[in-house]
Amino acid sequence: MADLDELKAKWDEQNRRLEKSIRLNCELFRATKLTAVESELRRTAIYAGLEAGMWLIVVIALGNFIAVHMRTRELAFSAAAADVMSIGMTIALIRRMAGALHIDYAGPIAAIQKQVETLRILRIRTIQRGVLFGSVLWVPWLAVTLYGIFGVDLYRGADPAWLTGNVLFGLALFPAARWVSKKYGVRLGHSPLIQRMAKDLAGSELNAAQTFLARLEEFERE
Amino acid sequence: MPEDQERFQALLDNHRGILYKVCYSYCRNRDDREDLAQEIVVQLWCSFRRFDKRFRFSTWMYRIALNVAISYARRESTRARHMISDEARILTAADEAKSQPEELGLLYRFIERLDELNKALALLYLDGNSYEEIAGVLGISETNVATKINRLKNSMKRELRGNR
Repeated sequence: MADLDELKAKWDEQNRRLEKSIRLNCELFRATKLTAVESELRRTAIYAGLEAGMWLIVVIALGNFIAVHMRTRELAFSAAAADVMSIGMTIALIRRMAGALHIDYAGPIAAIQKQVETLRILRIRTIQRGVLFGSVLWVPWLAVTLYGIFGVDLYRGADPAWLTGNVLFGLALFPAARWVSKKYGVRLGHSPLIQRMAKDLAGSELNAAQTFLARLEEFERE
Repeated sequence: MPEDQERFQALLDNHRGILYKVCYSYCRNRDDREDLAQEIVVQLWCSFRRFDKRFRFSTWMYRIALNVAISYARRESTRARHMISDEARILTAADEAKSQPEELGLLYRFIERLDELNKALALLYLDGNSYEEIAGVLGISETNVATKINRLKNSMKRELRGNR
C-alpha cells in the first residue's frame, strides 16, 4: 500500500508531464496593461477610503448643523447622535483601509491569513453596527435630513409617544433584519454583494471568520 | 513590453507548474481555477517590485499563490461567478486527468478534502520543499511542520486502507 512518501515519486513524474502540457497565455500578458491592474486588497483599500471620505463629509456637515442649531435642543441632539455614528463609521473604514494596505501576501501564510480574517471581521462588524445604529437612530437622521434639506422641523408638534414608539421600532428593526437575513438571505437577490451583506448581518460570516481564526491559532501551535 | 514585465513573465513561465497545482488544489471547477489563476498573477505582479532576489522565486511565489488561494477559497460562497472564454484563459493544460495512475487519483482526492491550511502543507511537502522552507512559507516552526506531516501521512494511510 502506497504511503505519502512513495506517492511523491509518482507526484514528481506527474509534475514533469504537467510542465510539458501547461501553457501560460503570454499574449494575455502583452495585451493586459499589468501596470494598470489593481490587486483585490488594493481595491478593498480604495473602496474603504472612498466610503470613509463620504462619511467624513457627513461628519463635517453634521458638525456645521450642530453649530448652527445649537439653541434648538432636539435638532442639535439628533445631529450629535448622527454625528457620533458617522465618526464611528469613518474610523472603522479608515482602519479597514489601513489594514488592507498593510497586508503583504508575500508574508508567511499563518500571519497573513490572520490579518485577512481580522480585516473580514472588521468589515462584518462595521456593517452590523452601521445597520444597528442606523435602525436605532433613524428618527434623528430623518429629523436632521428633513430640516437640513427642506427646512421641515419633525419635532415641532410631534407627539412624544410617537417619537418613543419610533425609537422602539428602530430597536426592534435590527433583530428583525438579522432574522430575515438568516432565513431568506440566499433568496434576497442573485447579487453576491447583497448575499454577502445578508450573511454579514445574519452573523454566519462572523462565526465562520472567528472559527477560522481559532483554526489558524491551532495550526500555529505544535 | 517593459523590461520588468518581461522578466516577470519569464519567471512566471518557468514556475507555471506552481500556479497550476495551487489552482487545481483549491478550486473544483475550471472557471474558478482560471479566476484564481488571474488573481494570483495580478497579486504576484503587484508584489514583484518588492521581490528580494536573494530569495528563491519559487518560495516567494508559493507564499503569494497560497495566500491568495486560501483567501479566495474563504470567499467562495459570496464570490461573483462568470464564464471565461478559452481565449481569455491564462492557464491551460492538456486533459491529463484521464491518464493519472489510480494512486495519484486517490492522492488528489485526499488533498481536496483537506482544509485550506493542511492543503498548503501537503502541496509544499509533495513538491519536495524542505521542512525549513515549508516552515518559512507557512510561518510555523520546523518541529510543527514535522508533526503535521506525520499526521498527514497517518491520515492518508488510514484513508488508503479504507479504500481497499
